[in-house]
Amino acid sequence: MEDMQYVILKKERFNDFISRLSKMQKLIAPVSKGYNNFAFEEVSSGSDIALKYIPTVLPLKKFFMPQRETLLEFKMAKGADAEAVVELEPMTIFGAHTCDLAGIQCLNMVFSERPKDYNYLTRKNRITLIGLECNEYCDEYASCHLVNASFPGGGYDLFFTDLGDYFIVHVKTQIGDEIVDVTGFFEKADVSHMNDLERLRDHKRKVFSNEVPIESKKLPELFDKSFRARVWKDLDERCLACGNCTNVCPSCYCFDIRDELDLSLKNGVRFRIWDSCQLEPFARVAGGINFRKERSARQRHRYYRKFRYSVDRFSRFFCTGCGRCTRTCMAGISLKETLNELIKESEDRVWKKWL
Amino acid sequence: MKKPKVGIFDFACCEGCQLQIANMGEDVLSVLGSIDVLEWREVMSEKWGKKLDIAIIEGSITDPHAVKRIKQIRKKAKILIAIGSCATIGGVNGMKNNFGLDDIRKYVYGDSYRFFPTELTKAVHQVVKVDYFVHGCPMYIPEFVALIKAALQGIPYYPPDYPVCVECKLNENVCMYDRQVTCLGPVTRAGCNSWCINNGNICYGCRGMVSNPNEKGAQDVLAKYNIPMELILNKMNMYNKCRELT
Repeated sequence: MEDMQYVILKKERFNDFISRLSKMQKLIAPVSKGYNNFAFEEVSSGSDIALKYIPTVLPLKKFFMPQRETLLEFKMAKGADAEAVVELEPMTIFGAHTCDLAGIQCLNMVFSERPKDYNYLTRKNRITLIGLECNEYCDEYASCHLVNASFPGGGYDLFFTDLGDYFIVHVKTQIGDEIVDVTGFFEKADVSHMNDLERLRDHKRKVFSNEVPIESKKLPELFDKSFRARVWKDLDERCLACGNCTNVCPSCYCFDIRDELDLSLKNGVRFRIWDSCQLEPFARVAGGINFRKERSARQRHRYYRKFRYSVDRFSRFFCTGCGRCTRTCMAGISLKETLNELIKESEDRVWKKWL
Repeated sequence: MKKPKVGIFDFACCEGCQLQIANMGEDVLSVLGSIDVLEWREVMSEKWGKKLDIAIIEGSITDPHAVKRIKQIRKKAKILIAIGSCATIGGVNGMKNNFGLDDIRKYVYGDSYRFFPTELTKAVHQVVKVDYFVHGCPMYIPEFVALIKAALQGIPYYPPDYPVCVECKLNENVCMYDRQVTCLGPVTRAGCNSWCINNGNICYGCRGMVSNPNEKGAQDVLAKYNIPMELILNKMNMYNKCRELT
């Protein structure tokens, strides 16, 4: 660790820092919605912010790829009278956990592929990200260690770690450096601060461990063997196909594009909205054919998108271990349980081979 | 383009959906600017009685007179739009179907009940062909506007065929089940932008059920939350009793 990159913010100066930050540009942070539900919303003071929170209902993607986004404005006159639109609003997001930072890293990779998605990329460049470390597990649904997202792995401008009386803050980018300079509430970190941080990380290395009994690098192989596993059939009976698991997923980015005219039928907009592979019409095509008609096929697809296909295409898991899909599922479909079932089933198969 | 001739008609209902049209603020000017309303009892006194491009129907069909009248309207209209739960799924009027028809008539009209013939409550499409549906009690104005646009362009409008939970989650509402309250969102067709839950109420199922619900899964969920099947069926029947008719 290079301590040049670390500064500290004393807790008594936190409220001043947040107020200052909120005056620089729109500030977003986790707030409590009651019933142990949290959401990223606009804040203007430190007291609005829930520093201890479990993953919010919706992840950060709602700011990076809004639920409804205009792409094009057009006129129905002859010829192509259309103009591309990028909707953006500069903002700072405070308090992103490592799982959500990983989610944004996934989206960055997806939307940087050619053809590049300039709507996403332009917006992303106007968003400042300030991370916040999880010192403990949020709850039993998280599986962040399995997918290597329990410790900070970049993707932020500043990263806060709560060390009791103060936060130690990793300054990662020039934008982060400017925030430290302009707000002026930070002090240099010294050796004792660095030791405190190291002690916390040691503690975390003891607390956090793979949440399902498998090595991460064996996961793709497990999925290679599991396409016809029994567990998909089981999910078919339980899944209500409400699409909540994908809507709350930090790395799910599927969208639909639609055109809409105004009532004069002369002017219109093309916009995109979130879509979900779990909804019945998602894979329905002309002629009424649906190539993922069964809920089992749709659920299986979701898991393969997180643990198998993304490994080939982006060399990483697209599950960030936040646990949202499990927390939100009315039917109690649990990501950890599904993985456990897959592991058990594959072990059974190995045994059968020898018997 | 010539403005389409439009008539707005009501059957058994509270006329609240027509009120929604009158209440929609600025949009009403754009809507009325793009159509030619020739008959609308709640708002104007003129009668038309001739051919129409679009007939907008509110309310459910509950007696022989209504059956005759809706059939006449259908014959005169090129396009027929059903608005509001009463018209699209039968709605609360369907609760009548829980009882014997004579008992109902006696209860309402007393001794002179014989002068008031009645029938099982039906949604409009259970009597005549319906081209467009605007679900909801009352209907959701943005959906009505979207549908009018589709009708003007002559293209189909597809209401979402997924549960209200989808929109509710996008609005980041705290789940009613987390608050220990039973809500019909998981089995009810979306399209209302989870209007009721956004405002602190539960979903009453006014838009009808999704077309392919996972019944076994839904039963498991009820069991998980210790909710008796009967309670949910009762709640569902408040708006959806007519689904039992074919």
